[in-house]
Amino acid sequence: MPEPNLELPELNPIIHGKLRLALLSLLATVEEAEFTWLRGRTGSTDGNLGAQLMKLEEAGYVTVEKKFVQRKPQTLYRLTEQGRTALTEYVQALKQLLGAAIEA
Amino acid sequence: MENETTERDLRDRLDLIENMIAEGRRKSESWGWAFVLWGLAYYVAFFWGNWGHFAYAWPVTVIAASLLTMLGFWRNGSKGRPNTTLGRAIAAVWWTTGLAMFILYLSLAFSGRLADYHLSVAIAGAMLGAANAACAAMLRWMSQFLCAIVWWSTCVAASFGSASQTTDAFLGAIFLCQIVFGIYAMTLEARRRRQHEALHA
Repeated sequence: MPEPNLELPELNPIIHGKLRLALLSLLATVEEAEFTWLRGRTGSTDGNLGAQLMKLEEAGYVTVEKKFVQRKPQTLYRLTEQGRTALTEYVQALKQLLGAAIEA
Repeated sequence: MENETTERDLRDRLDLIENMIAEGRRKSESWGWAFVLWGLAYYVAFFWGNWGHFAYAWPVTVIAASLLTMLGFWRNGSKGRPNTTLGRAIAAVWWTTGLAMFILYLSLAFSGRLADYHLSVAIAGAMLGAANAACAAMLRWMSQFLCAIVWWSTCVAASFGSASQTTDAFLGAIFLCQIVFGIYAMTLEARRRRQHEALHA
């Protein structure tokens, strides 16, 4: 009988938050996304969304660009390579943990 | 019990990732209108050209349709819809095909070598078939591949058929692959939007 929990990976706490995980997953599919689009897809409030995006930005997982289009302010977010790698590693860890939970 | 909660939580996280990825990919497939627009443009140019203004019917209509298409996609973009690599690849197939056809036909028209009606339709059929097939391969979409087959059949019909058969094949392909396919794509897009709204209501 193998020891199930000896080499199990830890889940990245920055990504583990549901909204942050949703944001990274969304940004993984597009080249860049506007704040309002992310808000619409996640159904979150402006304040919460802004706070979670800031955490992701501080971790180096997303970059932000602010500009004006037709005189309206636009905030664009992009997933960085570091963010993509972190998300991939998170998914692998999640699958590994889920496999261990099923086997246990 | 703790294990059950943990497992459920992990599954929730995986479901969330899957749903968000599907959500992100769904976003920009709003181009059925462009097929309908170009179908109507082909009809306008064809009948206008046959009315005796062939020299400028096609270039004027194609330029007008291109401007309307750019305006439409620009409006979609300004609504905050983001770009995807797949979306950019599909757009590239269409604009390069369109530009190639425009340069080819304009050059042949100015040089006076656009005399063969059959050849003109056959080239258009082959190129539009290739563009549809490339997009169908990228999207893994059988309906669009059927459009490619219809365009390539038009190419064959124009090569071997009479003038009236060539016209019938060309007008029929425009109807099926632009108007009908465009409306079908718009219907799918509207259904997806409704499903999305119901999910987020």
